Amino acid sequence: MDVDESQLKDFKLKPMKCEFNVLSKSDGSAILSQGETVVIVSVNGPLDIKMQSQSIEKATLEVLCCSKGGKPCVADRYKENIIKQTCDAALLSNQYPRTGITITVQELEDCGGLLPCSLNCACLALINSGLAMRCVFAAVTCVVDEQGDIVLGPSKEQLDTARAVLNFVFDSRDKSLMTGFTEGSFSEDTYKEAMERCRVASDLVFAFYRDIVKQYSKIIA
Amino acid sequence: MKVTIEDVVLPSDQCEEIVKAGESGRVILGPGLRKEIDGVFIVKAGVLKKRSPNTYWVESYQKRYVPSRSENVIGVVVQKAGDIFRVDIGGSCTASLSYLSFEGATKKNRPAVKIGDVVYGKMLNASKDMEPELVCVDSDGKKNYMGVLEDGFMFKCSLNLIRKILNPKCPLIASLKNEWPFEMAAGMNGRIWIKANSMRETIAVGNAILGSEYASNEEIKSMCNNIASILAGHNS
Repeated sequence: MDVDESQLKDFKLKPMKCEFNVLSKSDGSAILSQGETVVIVSVNGPLDIKMQSQSIEKATLEVLCCSKGGKPCVADRYKENIIKQTCDAALLSNQYPRTGITITVQELEDCGGLLPCSLNCACLALINSGLAMRCVFAAVTCVVDEQGDIVLGPSKEQLDTARAVLNFVFDSRDKSLMTGFTEGSFSEDTYKEAMERCRVASDLVFAFYRDIVKQYSKIIA
Repeated sequence: MKVTIEDVVLPSDQCEEIVKAGESGRVILGPGLRKEIDGVFIVKAGVLKKRSPNTYWVESYQKRYVPSRSENVIGVVVQKAGDIFRVDIGGSCTASLSYLSFEGATKKNRPAVKIGDVVYGKMLNASKDMEPELVCVDSDGKKNYMGVLEDGFMFKCSLNLIRKILNPKCPLIASLKNEWPFEMAAGMNGRIWIKANSMRETIAVGNAILGSEYASNEEIKSMCNNIASILAGHNS
């Protein structure tokens, strides 16, 4: 794997802003903006659920995605599935057997990169809810533009004109790939290079998480 | 990431200090810590704390109660089922409370507990695989302040606020109790029950408690003085 050293150090993600505990009634909530994209996530659980959906060994995770228009569509199901599988891997759901955990994602503004933003926001809401987690996770997006260059943290125009969009989710334990989803055509080498660069960029997201927790730990402790 | 005591921690961080302490003696892992094959891992975000000699835990924010043994909680009776009551304690399922676990209760002499009553009890049994069990007597069979809470007002708050006001270092209760008389019960499940002589005083206590969540000790003291002077102004 040969990735240019300078490229690994020289990158920028979209500015992130976050607020914890935005919803008073839910057990954990967070609002996150990445660039112009804004998402609000609420986590409820562990709660009592129907007998049929209970699992003896682990908590049942349910994810609901609501788009701005409010009408549910097939694209929402796709997002729900990705968020569910990622959160399932990150949560220590065997600590809460026969219960349900509900994650509700509401899009507030979509200017590209809604799904990575939802994933990061879901992670922050889980941190806020105080549920036991194996690791935290960070989603990073990059695009392959018309010239074949890899661009991290793309803008809306770059996303629209890109040849391919690659999204990666890394866990914080050993920076291994948890989830990956892509669109468009690209070579295997491009995929590997993009993954390495996103892996390095995920450090920024983890540092951001730590910074947020540091700010509110002054109040709670 | 490697962390040490009093650091801000995130899930998947590791603490070698605990592993080292574990090699020379027993250590107690509190909430937020988990032992795995290759070390001690953090599972909750917050601040890693230690109490000498060997107790470690993570101080984290939480609103949802997960039952744990020997904690005092406030519950609401939701169902009577034969010889047990089902009590909602804010966890994922209701806790069971036997009618015999009240002071002086016998098979003939049943305690007068109705649906909707608020009870203050102790968690006798709380495993993640079983229904939690609640009792309203201590090991001597005495009620020890537990039992049905008559009248009063109950409200919910975060679990951190309960731990904060029950901390002996917190000046809230100390400064409120000198101002006007009231009764209070704090459940570790994020519920507080208060009873004062008048509605106005009850609301004042409730607001003082909720207002102290994000306040420092000095701010709490001045807030209590403020509330007391407002209340005194209205009474006279």
